Amino acid sequence: MEIQLISFGKISEFLHSQQLEIEGISDTDQLKAYLESNFLQLADLKYKLAVNKILIQENTHLNSGDSVAVMPPFSGG
Amino acid sequence: MESKKKVKNIFIQGAISPGFITDCIAKHSSNTAIGGHSIFMGQVRQDEIGGKLVSAIAYSAFEELALEKMHEIREAIFEKYPLSCMHVHHSLGDVSAGEICLFVFTSSAHRKPAIEACSELVERIKAELPIWGKEIFQDNTHHWKENK
Repeated sequence: MEIQLISFGKISEFLHSQQLEIEGISDTDQLKAYLESNFLQLADLKYKLAVNKILIQENTHLNSGDSVAVMPPFSGG
Repeated sequence: MESKKKVKNIFIQGAISPGFITDCIAKHSSNTAIGGHSIFMGQVRQDEIGGKLVSAIAYSAFEELALEKMHEIREAIFEKYPLSCMHVHHSLGDVSAGEICLFVFTSSAHRKPAIEACSELVERIKAELPIWGKEIFQDNTHHWKENK
């Protein structure tokens, strides 16, 4: 399936926003495991996900075409 | 007067100028029901990190999510406090040390709701809006800001 990955802040320096073609992934927990094993720096960071521009707190089902934002802790102000 | 319903754009490219802030204050003189304003201004601090001085902060944001979230916060604050007005502006892009990057302005008939709402807004903006600050040093290296 296709996931539109969008990254921000520190994370955008090693995980670029991109169109991901991946198989065997159906939820955000699986996507996190995939990303953390492919981008080792991510495993050491705190981050949050937003699926289709909605911040998620727990494991969320993914459909092909979804956008997933990977966001480090906020530091506005 | 602010409409409570519409999603407003809070972002300003670059620093928030003192002139913008004074204009914003002046516009409220026609609302004579207001008895108190509270203002918070965030200024880029020239921190020293690892022996290097911060010369600017470059702000980026997940704008759509930030504006949605800000709308939610705005509604919640209007619900909680009897405010006449609420204005929030945040910088995007480069803001030099000493310049203003956040402007929060609340008004009410009496002082307490304005003061409390302003303070709660600042805390929520810093904790909940997907905005990131990249501290740029004089030698062009950088460090990603972390909020305390």
